[in-house]
Amino acid sequence: MKQKLSNAWTRYSFIFIFVVIFLFYMTVSNGLTWGGVTNILRHSAVIGLVSLGVALVIITGEIDLSVGSMLAFISGFSVCVFNVSHSIFLTFLFALVCGALCGLFNGVLVGEAKMPSFIVTLATMLIYRSLAQYYCQRMDSAVTGGGNSLFKMSRDIDGYALLYGFGNNKFLTIPNVGWVLLLFTALAVYAAASTKFGKKLYAIGSNEKSARLAGINVPLNRTAVFAICGIMAGLGAFLWVCMNGSADPATTGKSYEMYAIAAVVLGGIAMSGGKGEMIGVLFGAMSYTIIDKIIVALKMDSLINDTIKGVILIVAILVQTAGPALKQRLKR
Amino acid sequence: MPHLLEMTGIQKAFSGVPVLKGVDFSMDSGEVHALLGENGAGKSTLMNILTGVIPLDAGSVAFDGQPLENITIPKSEAAGIAFVHQELNLINDLRVYENIFLNRELTGRFGHLRKKEMSEQARVLFEELGVEIDPGAMVEKLKTSEKQLLEIAKALFRKAKLIILDEPTTALNNDEIAHLFKILRELKAKGTSFIFISHKMPEIFEIADRYTVLRNGTFIQTGNISEITPKEITKLMVGGEFFGENHYQIRELGEPALELHGFSGSGFSDVSLTVRRGEILGVTGLQGSGSSEFMRCVFGDTASTGGTLKINGAEVKTGSIHRAMQAKAAMLPADRKENSVVPDMTLLENMYLSEHTLSAWNFPIHVAKEQAKYEALKETLDIKAANPDLLITSLSGGNQQKVFLARWLNTDAEILLLDNPTQGIDVGAKTEIYRLILQLAKEGKTILVNTLEIPELQQVADRCAIFYEGRIIKILPHDEIEEHTVMLYSTNAVNAKEAG
Repeated sequence: MKQKLSNAWTRYSFIFIFVVIFLFYMTVSNGLTWGGVTNILRHSAVIGLVSLGVALVIITGEIDLSVGSMLAFISGFSVCVFNVSHSIFLTFLFALVCGALCGLFNGVLVGEAKMPSFIVTLATMLIYRSLAQYYCQRMDSAVTGGGNSLFKMSRDIDGYALLYGFGNNKFLTIPNVGWVLLLFTALAVYAAASTKFGKKLYAIGSNEKSARLAGINVPLNRTAVFAICGIMAGLGAFLWVCMNGSADPATTGKSYEMYAIAAVVLGGIAMSGGKGEMIGVLFGAMSYTIIDKIIVALKMDSLINDTIKGVILIVAILVQTAGPALKQRLKR
Repeated sequence: MPHLLEMTGIQKAFSGVPVLKGVDFSMDSGEVHALLGENGAGKSTLMNILTGVIPLDAGSVAFDGQPLENITIPKSEAAGIAFVHQELNLINDLRVYENIFLNRELTGRFGHLRKKEMSEQARVLFEELGVEIDPGAMVEKLKTSEKQLLEIAKALFRKAKLIILDEPTTALNNDEIAHLFKILRELKAKGTSFIFISHKMPEIFEIADRYTVLRNGTFIQTGNISEITPKEITKLMVGGEFFGENHYQIRELGEPALELHGFSGSGFSDVSLTVRRGEILGVTGLQGSGSSEFMRCVFGDTASTGGTLKINGAEVKTGSIHRAMQAKAAMLPADRKENSVVPDMTLLENMYLSEHTLSAWNFPIHVAKEQAKYEALKETLDIKAANPDLLITSLSGGNQQKVFLARWLNTDAEILLLDNPTQGIDVGAKTEIYRLILQLAKEGKTILVNTLEIPELQQVADRCAIFYEGRIIKILPHDEIEEHTVMLYSTNAVNAKEAG
């Protein structure tokens, strides 16, 4: 019994951390409403989707640092596509395809060319954001829709109201974007735990050599997982423009790669790969959103935000890794 | 005059299993002493104790007239003992002289390195040795033989009186071996002593003065090489051991299932073989003989460089595991922990990994169906596990191996390549694996078993192909598979005797 409890603790500590942070938020927000609760989902939507993609990459034992820049790049150009085509469908399609291509670029370099993912995605992190900023300045303002430092959707286009409405309205009291996050979390949980593709990702992350000798095409699956990660970033970018109607190439998605990694790790997925459950990512992402809200509720300086996030990450990992080791030592 | 090295009554056990049971070993100055024994006889353990890598449980060691107690690596180095490991311990990213002076650098007053002086000293050392290596070259760029000589030079530079060479010739060609031996003889004449560990009889008879044979952790015999023959040594190494009941029986063989013609690849060459459906072909050879590389190439893990491979009459291009799997080949690789186990996954997941790659486009996993299949295979293979959701790492070695066998049976493979299938498995489980191999062959599977354990081949193999330096040197029929015949061929002692 005790054994089972401690197993559950190490496996699902992300729920415990989430509950603690949530309860703390309840006490400091004096009178939390249902709207306040569902708002957590709204603000977790973009980072949550991005984190789901990064989690799949991390499960294979790799890393993707370029997702934040992808978000800026894709959301910026999605705005352009909308301004030019006036089509919601094309904008959506563009976001996904562009994400897939950005991810595929990482994937081919990591999977087929066998370059270290840290370096490859560090490079594309620089590239994608820089491209977004460069073209934001250079392109015709009729296309970018804003000044030379902002991509802005034109409000005069027919579809704008629909798009912005989708990004900001609720369905059954929960924000639409929250539903999207829940849907894709469910999909990711299913894909990782109950499909053959998912099992291969875990196998590659757990022991690449064994996976290869069991017949798994490691380069192909690596490439695929980076492409999927890109698609998730594309989806996140689409939600971003729906919610904001604009994208700032300098700040949109800034540090999101780090928040995503933090959410993944907080969600109990091992950085070394092969271990962890996708459901943890949802809780990891929401935990970080709540921390933002706690800081607002306490009227603290928002610059202290990252300090608190960093400390919580260290404490959470300490609990996960040092906890069992400490117990072992006490036993002796 | 006291011996240079005197080890008496050395005992060592690993987690309760005795590996050395009171071994005596002694040698004199200026001799090349061959330390002989099969894999697992205790040679490495004995040398590791001497060089302070592991502590001894009981016994005493004296070197150069002084007792050595509580040996540590620095202590044994200081006494003048150097160990040249088989996998050379050089730092590839440093220069030659930097490796020689590692941790003993010559420095000036402010701690700066006196590079010129070190480089010069290295040059002088190489000159004395008759070795042509540039002291300033990167070690990475050296040939294996040069690295070997560098290791010896390094040992000499550290004033070693006794140098242990662990299978020094494995990666060398004949000219390089001749060069190495020439240098060893010169050093011997100057009074340096060597312990020479090797499996290759011709070499031992060329270079060694004396020998000591170990078997199963006990001392068997010591003497002068000039007073013994390769055949007798082989007999001493093997002993008269025999274990288990033999279940082998002659079976009807089917049509050819695996056909190889002039099949060559990295580590082996010109293999021509026909293996028939239901046949069990034993493959053996000492480490580095190419038998393991051969198996991997048939499975598509590496690409062949020449020759053809046919499975069930159809030619199969090597270099892709997936293609080999589609042609119904399967491989249980050596070193289970490294190459088979996916440690974070359950039994069921581990078992289904390979089948999933063949049915990849049918995305969803049908848990109930998979569990039913698991139960069936669990029954056939007699896997002892409480439930399929346990982590693979919670099983014993033998049961893990059965799960991996199930992994491949689950792909409906017809050709099973088993590389060292009983490695790290206890005796009882070994017998069970043999029984399974026989049973599978009876059901029509074609099986290749690569192993160094000859009793294993006597239990299962219809024929046994012996590899020596990448080629099949001999194929023995079942009745002639016998430990010391196999040893004679795999050490090429047959030809050594003919030459001598």
